[in-house]
Amino acid sequence: MTTFSLNRRAALLGTAGALSSFAIGGKLAAQGAPITFGVLPPLTGAGGPYGPAMLRAVQGVVEEANAAGGIRGRQIRVVAEDDQTNPDAAVRGARKLIDVDRASCIIGTWASASTTAVAPLCWENRVSLFTVSGADSITLLPHQGYIFRTQPNSRLQISTACDYLMSKGARRVFHLAAQSPFAASSQEVMVEKFRAGGGAVSGYIVYERDKTAFRSEVDQIMRSRSDTVMLNGYLPDVTILLRELFRAGFEGRRFTFAYAANATTFQSLPNEVTNGLITFQPSPDLDSGAFNRLKNRFGNVEVDPYSAQTNDHATLAILAAAQAGEATGTAIRDNVRKISQGDGEKVDNVTDGLRLIAAGRAVNYEGASGPVSFDERGDIQGTKFRYEVAENGRFRLLELV
Amino acid sequence: MDAYLVAMLVFAGFYALMALGLNVIWGLTGMVNLGLVGFFGVGAYASALLTSKLAWPMPLGWAAGATIAALAGGIMALIVARLRGDYLAIVTLGFAEVIRLVASNEVWLTNGTDGISGIPGPWRGAVTPQQFNLIFLGIVWTAVAIAFYLLSRASHSPFGRVLRAIREDEDVAAVAGKPVLWFKVRAFVTGAAVLGMAGALYAHYNAFIAPEGFAPLLTIYIVLALTAGGVGSMRGAIIGAIFLITLIEGTRFLAAAVPGVTPVQKAALREGAIALTLILLLRFRPQGLIPERTRTKA
Repeated sequence: MTTFSLNRRAALLGTAGALSSFAIGGKLAAQGAPITFGVLPPLTGAGGPYGPAMLRAVQGVVEEANAAGGIRGRQIRVVAEDDQTNPDAAVRGARKLIDVDRASCIIGTWASASTTAVAPLCWENRVSLFTVSGADSITLLPHQGYIFRTQPNSRLQISTACDYLMSKGARRVFHLAAQSPFAASSQEVMVEKFRAGGGAVSGYIVYERDKTAFRSEVDQIMRSRSDTVMLNGYLPDVTILLRELFRAGFEGRRFTFAYAANATTFQSLPNEVTNGLITFQPSPDLDSGAFNRLKNRFGNVEVDPYSAQTNDHATLAILAAAQAGEATGTAIRDNVRKISQGDGEKVDNVTDGLRLIAAGRAVNYEGASGPVSFDERGDIQGTKFRYEVAENGRFRLLELV
Repeated sequence: MDAYLVAMLVFAGFYALMALGLNVIWGLTGMVNLGLVGFFGVGAYASALLTSKLAWPMPLGWAAGATIAALAGGIMALIVARLRGDYLAIVTLGFAEVIRLVASNEVWLTNGTDGISGIPGPWRGAVTPQQFNLIFLGIVWTAVAIAFYLLSRASHSPFGRVLRAIREDEDVAAVAGKPVLWFKVRAFVTGAAVLGMAGALYAHYNAFIAPEGFAPLLTIYIVLALTAGGVGSMRGAIIGAIFLITLIEGTRFLAAAVPGVTPVQKAALREGAIALTLILLLRFRPQGLIPERTRTKA
C-alpha cells in the first residue's frame, strides 16, 4: 500500500514537473510571438466614410510602437475586419478576430448597435473593447470593466449643451429629434436641466428621419414661441429643417450637433439661411501634442474626432499591456486606468510612454481626443466641447470649453 | 479556430432554417416573400421579450416566437391574397420595414433603437463560451433537422403537390377544385413559423437584438442562399445556406491572402468576390446546386 502511494506521489510529481516545464517552455516561446490587436471599424455601409481613417490612425500608432521595440520586445500585429455597419456582420467579424486571430483587444466599433452586439463576446472571452459609440446603454451593460468608451455619452453631450444654451439666455427651448437611440434620453436630460435652470422645454417632437418635408413640425415650433430650437437630427433632415425654419420666419436661436451641419450644408443652402446656426461637438484636443502628431501623420488634412479616438485606443492598449508586462485582454483591462490617469508623468505619444514604462516610471497618457480618463463604468471624463457659429458659408469658433 | 468554425456553423444553421422557411412560401408555392426578415424579427422579439420580461422558460419562448410569427404570416397571406409577382414582393418588403419601424418606435415595448440586451441563453454564463457555442450548435441543427424532415414530408405529400400546382398555375389549381387561398394561407403560416423559430433561436444565441439587425440585407442573403441551393428543394435550402456562409466567411481569408491590399480594399474585394460568385453560379447553374426534383417537367 505504502509503495503504491509513494509511486503515485512520484508519478504526480513527475507529471507536475513535466507540465510546468511545458508551461515555462510555452511562455518562453510566446515571448517572441507577436501580439494581435483586432480593429473592427465600418469600412463599408453607413459608417464607411469614417472607418478607413479610424483604421489608419490605429496602424500609425502600432507602427510607431513597433519601431520603438514593441511591447517588451514583442511586436504588435493589426488585424482589421469590416463590420459593414451591421450588427450581424460585426458579430461574425468579432468572432474571427477573437477565435482565429486571438486578438487581445478590439478597437474602433462605431455604430452603437454593432458595439452592443459585439460586447458580450468580448467580456465572455476576456477581450478589451475600445469604442467610439455614444449610446448611453453601452457602458450600462454588465461588461465587467472590459469596455472603454472615448466618446462622451449622449447624456453628457446634451447636458453640456443645455448648460451652454442657458448661459446664453435660452429659456424656452424646442426639442426636435430624429428617431434614434438618444432621442428619449436627450429629452429627459433637457427637461431636467431647463426646469432646474428656470427655463422650460417648450415642445418635443420625434420625427422619422427619412422624411423630405417637415411642415407640421415647423408649424408647431412657430406656435410654441420658443427662443431656441435644438435640432437633434442628422445631416439630411437638419438641412431640410433649416430651410423650412427660414421660410417660416423663425428668428430664434438654432442649435445642432456638428455632425448634422457641416461644409455640405453650405453647399445646399444659401448663406442667409445658415447664418447664425450654432453647432457643437465633443472636440479633439486640437492644441495637444497627440492631436498634432496624428495630424502630421495624416499629411496635415483634417482629422475627424473618431480617428483621434482610435489613435488613443491603440495607444492606451499598448501602454496598458506594457505596464502589465503581458498582453491579455484582462491585463489590458486592469492597466488602462493606471496609465491614463493619476499623477504619472504626462506623455502624448506611444514611444515616450513605452520608454518611461520600461524605466519603471508612472505615466499619464494625454490623448488626441482629450485627457482620456475613465470613470468606473468605462465612460470618458473631461472631454472638451467646441461651439461654432455659421457665418457667410463658414464656421467661426465661438468657444472651446 | 475551432470556436470560430463552430460559431459559423451556428450561423449557417440559422440561415438554413430561414432558407427552409422561405422555401415553403417561395420555392413551393411561388409567392415571392421579401419580408422574411420581418417574420424572423417578430419571432426574435417575441421570444426575447417573453423570456426576459415575463421570465418564461426558453423553450416556451421559442414556441411562442414561432407561433406569433405564424399568426403574422397567416394575416399577411390574407392581406396579399390577390397579389402576385412584383406586387407581392413590394408588399412583403413593406411588411418587413413596418416591423422594423415599429420595433424602433414602440420604445415602451421593444426599447427602441437601443435594442434588447442581456437575453438569456441556455446555460450561458454557467459554461465556457466554447461550450455554449457547442450547445447552441446542437440546438440549431436539431431544429434544422426537424424542420427539414417535416417540410420534406409535406413537400412530397398531396399538400406539397397542390402548392406546386398553385406555383405553376393558380387558375388551373382552382379549376381542379383546390381552395387556393386556404392553401396559400397554410403555406405562409408554415413558412413564417419556421422563420419565427429561427429568429427566436437567434435572439438567444446573440443575447442582443436591435431593429438594425433586421434590415433587408438579411433577406437578400437568404434569398441568395435559396437561389444558390435550388429553389423548391429542401436539401438545396440547407446546402445553399452552408454555401453562403462559406462564401461570406471564406472570402475574408481569401481576400487577406491577396498580397498588397489594404483592409479597405480587402473589404471591397470581399463584397465583389461574393457578388461575382453568385452571378457566375446563376449564369452557369440557374437551377441551383441541388435542383428540385419533380416527376413532371415544367
